[in-house]
Amino acid sequence: MMRLISQRMQTAVRGSLTVARRNLKPATATGAVRFMSHEVQETDEEFDARYVAYFSRPDIDGWEVRKGMNTLIGMDLVPDPKIIIAALKACRRLNDYALTTRFLEAIKMRAETNKEIYPYVLNEIKPTLDELGISTPEEMGYDKPELALKSVFDVHS
Amino acid sequence: MALLRVIPRKATPSIFMQQVARLHNVERDKIGNRDVVGWGINGMYSYVDHVAFPMPAIRFKETTPEITALRDREKGDWKKLSVEDKKALYRASFCQTYSEMRAPDGRWKSITGWVLFAISASFWIYIWEKLFVYPPMPDTITNLEKRQAQLQRMIDIRVDPIDGLASKWDYENNRWKK
Repeated sequence: MMRLISQRMQTAVRGSLTVARRNLKPATATGAVRFMSHEVQETDEEFDARYVAYFSRPDIDGWEVRKGMNTLIGMDLVPDPKIIIAALKACRRLNDYALTTRFLEAIKMRAETNKEIYPYVLNEIKPTLDELGISTPEEMGYDKPELALKSVFDVHS
Repeated sequence: MALLRVIPRKATPSIFMQQVARLHNVERDKIGNRDVVGWGINGMYSYVDHVAFPMPAIRFKETTPEITALRDREKGDWKKLSVEDKKALYRASFCQTYSEMRAPDGRWKSITGWVLFAISASFWIYIWEKLFVYPPMPDTITNLEKRQAQLQRMIDIRVDPIDGLASKWDYENNRWKK
């Protein structure tokens, strides 16, 4: 038992000694392998391309479209108009109109920190809306509550 | 490695997983013939309007012949759908719009009312206890002479001489410092 421990100690110490000796000579130390993690940071373009490709898949189903939209809305960003166009076209392929309105509403909610974003997005996706015959939430009257109680501050006005 | 081998390759569903499956089936019974359309928030067959999760797992309304007819028209050109049709389709899938979800619901009025009610009720309970529950205050609190004697005693034994009671007492002239 003791012999085993002493042998282990010797090998361990010898290892550290040799390392220490090698460190004295920098020329030989440069070849050492570095154990580092290397996380690849996705660029914005790659992110957009990934989601455009996701929504543009011809055999995408309703489950995947909804999951992609839920994920996008959960992120700290407003999706690029490219992604929105791809998502709207995916809704068209699935024949689900309600999804488009819901998605545009969610984007409007996401973009409300900066008033310039939503008009820009609408402007960018306008050709697609016209092409597919999609009404914006404003055109459907959903920018204001349709079935909600009146605000108590407006009741008497 | 021996530990790993204890786990069988192909496990039969555990009792827990069987219960989970049964729960899912029960839920499936509860949603009527609504379409299950997605993952929703956590994969359960539930409808929730939530701004952070625009797409719930099931449609809001059950499938009726009218909505089926509308869905057939939805397969055609969307430009031929009127705004009313579009709204009907939306309301079949979703309950509240985003602006309705975030509209004021006036609930703060009842909350404020109940909070004030609870506060006043606790005051009445305190008054009632003061009258009928607690014994009278001890005379070390109510008797002025005893309290003055207690203060004199505290001055005599020099309570808190740095920045407290005794620091404010002038011991040479036997009075409070000016």
